[in-house]
Amino acid sequence: MKLQLAIEGRMRQVDIEPSANGHWRLRLDGEPVVADACLLRPGVLSLLIAGQSWRVVLDGHPSDTVLHVGPERIAYRVEDPRSLRQRRRAAGGEGRVTLKASMPGRVVRLLIEEGDPVTAHQRVLVIEAMKMQNELKSPKEGRVTHIRVSPGDTVASGDTLAIIE
Amino acid sequence: MSLAYGLSNLYPVPWNPALQKILIANRGEIALRIVRACRELDIASVAVYSDADRAALHVLEADEAYHLGPAPAVESYLRADLILDVAHRAGVHAIHPGYGFLSENADFAEACEKAGITFIGPPSTAMRALGSKTSARQAADEAGMPRTPGCVHGLASPEEAHDVALSVGYPVMLKAAAGGGGKGMRAVYRPEDLEAAFATASSEAERAFGSGEVYLEKLIERPRHIEIQILADGHGHCVYLGERECSVQRRHQKVIEEAPSAVVDEDLRRRMGEAAVRLALSAGYTNAGTIEFLLDEDRNFYFLEMNTRLQVEHPVTELITGVDLVHLQIRIAQGEPLPFIQSDLQLRGHAIECRVYAEDPENAFMPSPGRITRLLQPGGPGIREDSGIYEGWVVPMDYDPMLSKLIAYAPTRETAIARLLRALDEYVIGGIRSNLGLFRRILRDPEFRAARIDTGYLDRLLAQPNSRPSEDGSEPLFVAPAMAAAAVLEVSKPAAGATIAGAVSSASVWKSAARREATGGAS
Repeated sequence: MKLQLAIEGRMRQVDIEPSANGHWRLRLDGEPVVADACLLRPGVLSLLIAGQSWRVVLDGHPSDTVLHVGPERIAYRVEDPRSLRQRRRAAGGEGRVTLKASMPGRVVRLLIEEGDPVTAHQRVLVIEAMKMQNELKSPKEGRVTHIRVSPGDTVASGDTLAIIE
Repeated sequence: MSLAYGLSNLYPVPWNPALQKILIANRGEIALRIVRACRELDIASVAVYSDADRAALHVLEADEAYHLGPAPAVESYLRADLILDVAHRAGVHAIHPGYGFLSENADFAEACEKAGITFIGPPSTAMRALGSKTSARQAADEAGMPRTPGCVHGLASPEEAHDVALSVGYPVMLKAAAGGGGKGMRAVYRPEDLEAAFATASSEAERAFGSGEVYLEKLIERPRHIEIQILADGHGHCVYLGERECSVQRRHQKVIEEAPSAVVDEDLRRRMGEAAVRLALSAGYTNAGTIEFLLDEDRNFYFLEMNTRLQVEHPVTELITGVDLVHLQIRIAQGEPLPFIQSDLQLRGHAIECRVYAEDPENAFMPSPGRITRLLQPGGPGIREDSGIYEGWVVPMDYDPMLSKLIAYAPTRETAIARLLRALDEYVIGGIRSNLGLFRRILRDPEFRAARIDTGYLDRLLAQPNSRPSEDGSEPLFVAPAMAAAAVLEVSKPAAGATIAGAVSSASVWKSAARREATGGAS
């Protein structure tokens, strides 16, 4: 099975074939290796590659795909052609910007209303978490077409807060 | 006499606690720390919790637990009336306030005294005398303790500030008398900036502490933060338990603490310790307390403030003295004399503590509350972790972001650093962001390793570009295992559309992989 992996933003090729007893025949960017994988408990993998022992922990974050390889925190994504097309479509819509929460927290204040014109870098709303307030600013000049949250709402990191066109 | 270990055993056994039931007016790791001490002393513990903390570890581990109110601290952990109500209902003999929340609130200490409940801390009178920074500076003068040049009263006007600044010389610091955590604080380098700084410091102090009182002192360049731990009993005995160095700070918040300090020798330790003891005795102080100092480049020390409570970083002192500070707080509170004198105390080894926070150092230190999906905690020789977290716990967004304190102890500073790095490599916190990577960076930094640190050290380090260990053009070491792991996880998915997280949470994926293998079904 051939896989395209984006690891820390760089595309990588993996060719993987199961062999016996948790062993796998792999080609990593064309280089053949033999890996032995053992799942210790959910999300925790012991990996032996050419005698080197690696502890790999799947982060389990709801939206990011992250592996902890030893002490390193690695963002990765499995690519397939379909999802690439979808992302291109989602990224489309010139001039329309989605303002997303940069951290989980509670909406403290809205500084604009739906329909208001905004300038680039104008403060739009304030989110608070753990005694720290974070002001979100409009990335561009335009008009606020949608506001998706109200003061007091709890938001997750990456949630859509407002749409500016 | 050298009794670095087992000092508490000098108390007569068997032990008969007069305070048989203690309420812990706090949450998180410190509440659990105190619950553990109570258990060790055969004392019943009573936890309190807000709506956000029903599933917290301090509730689970205490003998009894009672609900306070909604998640915001002002409606729960800061409600003295609710806490005293629980104390009466549960029939407790004493309240341990921990740190933060009500721990330095003299009105709360007084309310406990009036209600006939022992407050595990100093008397409210001593808290008042030392709680405000200006009155503490007056007490320092009376105790003959060196302090930074400047005033000992609040400033009435910018003109008065100007006169004091001229007499001590620029640069100067404006500080809130009721201050803490860097709020209401302004460094002023030129006379023309003083008036504006005075106005902003005063209004910031008013907003944060309800008092706009501001005073002025000479700014010490590149200071180290050194503090002395003291213990005083109700019989007029007071000892110092060496120093802690807390110079690694960000926004006036401590990040790494260690004991002893690499630059404090026997003579300086004795002079600082004796000054601290004089101050505590002159104010009628009892129980555990900390006197904070700034140390300048010529190793002159200046009194900064006194913290009239247990400190976050108390474990490093416990490790190098062999003393359990929470045990002793409880025993002092019930009227026992200190079980040792100054000459019994000896420092041994070196301890370093990291404050592990739910924040993202790679994204402007944004808070990162949420569910801890994965948790691998370190252990082994010389490692102590005081934490209040577990796998599956949702870190609330309502309180400060501290998750745990990771502490290494070893015979030397060098070995303590190596141990801490080893433990940090074992530690995995998944699902939320943490500052574990920041500690790896600091502990590998040559300046930190050489103990060339001051309170501006961390800002200078963070201003430098942070390169990953293997960004010298060669392939990073993590790439091959990351590719292999991702591929193994991907092909092990039981069915299309299932998430990888879901797949690995079920042991059956390995069976299905084996089945595919057996039937030659893998493609």
